[in-house]
This record gives sequence, structure tokens and C-alpha cells, in this order.
Amino acid sequence: MSFRVLDERRLAATDAATLRLLAGRTGAWAAAGDAEALRERAHEIRMGVVDDIESHLDRFVAAVEAAGGRVHRCASAADARAAVARICVDAGARLAAKSKSMLSEEIGLNAALEAVGVDVVETDLGEYILQLAGEHPVHIITPAIEKTVEDVASLLSAVDGVPLEPRAEALAQAARRQLRQVFERADVGITGANFAVCESGSICLVTNEGNGGLVTSLPRVHVALLGMERLVPTLDDLAVLLQLLARSGTGQTLTTYTRLITGPRRAGEVDGPEELHVVVVDNGRSRIGSGPYREMLACIRCGACLNVCPVYRKAGGGAYGPVYSGPMGAVLVPLLQGLERERALPHASSLCGACTAACPVKIPLHELLLELRRDLVEHGVASRGERIAFGLWSLLWSRPFLYRVSTSLARRGRPLGALAGPGRAWAAGRELPELAGRRFRDRR
Amino acid sequence: MRVQLFATCLGDLVFPEAVADAEALLRGAGCDVRFPPGQTCCGQPAFNAGHRRAARRLARAFVRAFSHDEPVVCPSGSCAAMVAHRVPELAGCAPFEVWELSSFLDHLGAAPPARNEGVRIAYHSSCHLLRELGVDAAPRRLLARTGAELVDLRRPDLCCGFGGTFAVRQPEISVAMADDKLADGAQADVLATADPGCLMHLQARAARTGGVRVQHLASVLARGAV
Repeated sequence: MSFRVLDERRLAATDAATLRLLAGRTGAWAAAGDAEALRERAHEIRMGVVDDIESHLDRFVAAVEAAGGRVHRCASAADARAAVARICVDAGARLAAKSKSMLSEEIGLNAALEAVGVDVVETDLGEYILQLAGEHPVHIITPAIEKTVEDVASLLSAVDGVPLEPRAEALAQAARRQLRQVFERADVGITGANFAVCESGSICLVTNEGNGGLVTSLPRVHVALLGMERLVPTLDDLAVLLQLLARSGTGQTLTTYTRLITGPRRAGEVDGPEELHVVVVDNGRSRIGSGPYREMLACIRCGACLNVCPVYRKAGGGAYGPVYSGPMGAVLVPLLQGLERERALPHASSLCGACTAACPVKIPLHELLLELRRDLVEHGVASRGERIAFGLWSLLWSRPFLYRVSTSLARRGRPLGALAGPGRAWAAGRELPELAGRRFRDRR
Repeated sequence: MRVQLFATCLGDLVFPEAVADAEALLRGAGCDVRFPPGQTCCGQPAFNAGHRRAARRLARAFVRAFSHDEPVVCPSGSCAAMVAHRVPELAGCAPFEVWELSSFLDHLGAAPPARNEGVRIAYHSSCHLLRELGVDAAPRRLLARTGAELVDLRRPDLCCGFGGTFAVRQPEISVAMADDKLADGAQADVLATADPGCLMHLQARAARTGGVRVQHLASVLARGAV
């Protein structure tokens, strides 16, 4: 299954946005001092957690409970959906206000809540736009990256029933007005968690829009969805990762808001939720963490690999599926969903290595893609025809005599054209290369 | 200095002139060039497609063909990276001293003939040469020594879209990436690359669309851009 190039509008929007993010990133890195040492340190911190998730999780759970929060450990997406639904039902909730969470997309949360009678409204501007459009995020950081200002104007205008001018500021004001009543009426606020700190039991939320603050302080109940691997041991470790996250993602030194939430409202405090529930989701992570791909769990979801990836920038996030995209998605989605189901994704890369070079926590993304390709072959997912072709080819070309015979014969035909499928795919946009009349070895 | 020339399969079969140019450049730099006759392919197509058994067969054939006693030089960044980083592990042998051609020539301080006076040349950094071998300045230095006027690409870090089997598994994306690279190089007289894979792909697309002329770096250095 091949990716298609985005239509012109989406391509132009994606190009402009990723270039802006990349330019910001370059500037922010230049000002970061010893960026390489920071990356090394970040890698160490993350792998320290990944190599021993359970004991870190135990410390985190104890700290959350000590602060008055509740923890729900969920093995699967279905368990997590059920846990959040139960919390909402127990709270008698009718409306949930959500801050951006890719994990909620991964587990398919919104539909599950609507099924138990809870309306869900996305309050991150990008996610709100996509909810109005009935679409999935196409970028893990800037989910509506393919939407132009005109697209946004028409979506927000439909809510108000009056046409809005396609100007960013006017549109932001309109969305702000539309969402204000959601914050005021919501019974439950649902967020993700950029990080969770073991020593303090804090949830760290990194946002630029301020909706995260309203979602976590106005509703009576706050539910934070946490991927079980997104832990850091200490607040000092958190400081290291925060220096990298915004720089890599949006090119900011820090995001506008960095929020640390420790427990629900305490006696004597004037705001904050009455209940804090942390829903810790496994959904395949402990399996990944005990296998050869565990470095993927170091990912901090910054989106840098998407922005530098030429394949992502041409095909757009939707090509990778409804949730994760770009190089991190090409690795993670097959690990979560199984190679059988996602056999095309490991090949959705030219192996240029730009992702690996950009990753702030030094995940060798293109190496992991190579390993997944190996698994495709060795677990029998790759087609029999492909395995036979490479097997025969290697038997011939590993013997110089047979290499000479086979390439002499090939020069009498048009060998690439003869390989029907690949030849056609090549020739759809390119001329077929000609074999030279005389090989180099025959000229000496 | 004795060196072993690794033509690479694409060099042997599709771009023999570029390999001959590489040989001429090495001789010009004072090397005694040997062509190990048992050589075929480094196995990269199989390795990158996940076929380790097939790649291992080719890696062992490479080890049988080449000696560990003299440097291996090849006019391909990605094949040099394959031999440097993958072949020893696949074949279970000691590492080779392997060089991509331009980095070796630059290391020797070679000064190719000044055949590019006033010619505007853009250099396309192939991904594996740039990121896996860390070679970026050497090809530009050599081009400058031939009198070329170097034209900077706006996005020198972007892949051209070849990527081995990627070119046929994701043809539409691959071609769109080639178009970006060719458009980026359009203000130059010639787009030069040190990788036969990139060269084959970019030439094939440019032949279809009438894009900028694409040549192997070795040919541009040895005979001048044409």
C-alpha cells in the first residue's frame, strides 16, 4: 500500500508549518548551549525509566496517592476507556472538556464517553478544529497542521452561524468565545500528561493555549491519561527534558504554560478539582519495554521527527493511520498494532536518518525501522515473492561467476522493466535506467 | 599507496564511466589502484529491505573479494557506509578501512584538474554519506579546487527520495522528493552527487521532466561538468 502525495492545499499548509517549526527549532537549539550533552543526559534519564518501568511506576503511584489522587492502572485500551467512562458516570458527568491528548486518540476515548452519555469537547484549538471537521489529528503536536486559515474560518463560522473573517486573531477570539462556556459547564476535565514525576506524584502538562489550565482547574473532576512509560524520576530530571521538549517541538525555549499538578484541591485552596484520577495506560507498552524495541518508549512526543521527515511532509500524517505519524509513528504503530496489520509502515521511510539526527532523546528511529523490516521478513509477513527474489538474487550475486553470467544476460534485455511490479512503479514517474554496454569490469 | 577500488554494482553495471573517473582521480592522486575481480555488491539492497540472510551472503562475498590490508575506496557514500557499519557484523569479520572516494581524495590532499572554471555546481549530500559517515565538506572542497562556483541548496539536508526499494514501494512520494531536489538544484548548471543510487533516481526523474543535469561527483571532478 503506497502513500499518496497530499493535495496542493494540504501540501502547502504542511510545508509552511513544518518549515516554520524547523526554523524555530534550529534557532532554539543554537541557544541551548551544549545541546549534545543535554540529549545524552535525556536519553539516560528516559532509558533509566524504560529499563525499569514497574519500580518507577510504584513510586509514582505511592506519591499520587499520598497527595490525595487516585490511580487506575489499565492493561488495555478497552480497560482505559472503561475506567474513564466509569469515573465520568460516577461523577454524574454530562460534559467533559478535553485538553490535547494523543493517548486519548490511541485508546479511542471520545466515542466511548459519548456511548455512556457524556458529551466531549476538545479545547485545544487544533483538536477543536478537527473535532468540528470530524477528522483525526495529522501531527502529534500541531494536529490541524494541514488546515489553512480559510478552512478554519469556515469550520468556526458554522458554529456561530455567522461568517468569520479568515484572520488568525479573529478566529482565535471566536474559538475562545465558543469554548469559554464549555470550560464553565464541564463536569470533568480530561488531559494527557507530557511527563509524570515519580518523586512528587506530579503530572506535568506543557501547553501554549491556556486551555490546559482551565480544564484542570474548573471542572469538579480531573482525569489525566498517562502512558505508563512517560515517567521521570525527579523534578531535576524533568527540568532536563523540558529544556528539550519545546525546543524540539515548536522551537520555543519553553512553552507558554508549564503546569505541574500534584493531587486534587487541598483544604483551604480556592480552586482546583475535587478529585484527581490518573489513568495509567499500558496497551502494549510493557511488552515493547521488555523487547528489542524498548528505546521507542523513550519518545517524549515532541514531533521533531515528523517535521524533518521528507516522507511525512509529502504524504501527511493521515497516511500513517489515525493517531501517530511520521517516523515515530512508523515505528510505534506496528509495535502497538502488530506487524501483520501495519506491514507497510516500516517501509514508509527512505532511511535518510534525518529523524534519528533530530530526536532529542536519541532514539535510533531509522535503525528501529530497519529492525522492523527484518522482522517482517523473518516472521513471514513480507511476501513470499519478495523473499524468493532476494534469496535468488543473493545466491547469484554472492558468486562472482554467476554475477557475471546474470548481468551479461540482463544486458540483453531491460532487466528493470522485466521486474514487472517494481519496474512499473519506477517507470510511472521516471525513465528506466539503461545498463551500460560494457561493465566497468570489462573495460580494464 | 595501494588501494582497492570497489566499483559497487550500480557503478559496474549502470555508471562504468563514473567508476573509470574515480579510478583516474585515484591514480592522479598517486594511488596504485587494484580492482579485486571477485567483487559484486555490498548487499545493501537486501539489508535495507530486511533480508538479513541475503545480505549476509553478499557480505561474505565482499569479504572473500577484498583484503583487509589495503584501504577500500568506492564512489558511493551509501555503499561505503554499508561496508563500514554493516558488513563486518554480518560477515563476522574485522572492520575494513573503507573510504568514500571524495573523502579519501580530500584526505590525500588531492587537487583534481581545474576543469570547472566558472561552472555553477550544486552538491547533493547523499544521506548516508552525510549522516552515517559524517562527510560533507570534502566533496565541496574538491569541487572548489576544480574552479567550480558552488551553489548552495536551500535544503541540503533533504533526502532525494531514492532510498533503495523505497523508490518502488513509495513511488509517488519518492518522485515528489526528487522533484524538490531537482527544483532546489535548478539554479546550478549541474547537480553533483557522490552516490550512484541518488544519481540513478535523480537522472531518471530529470530525464522525464527535463530537470537540471545530474552527474556523479567523480565525473565532475575528473572530466569537468558537461
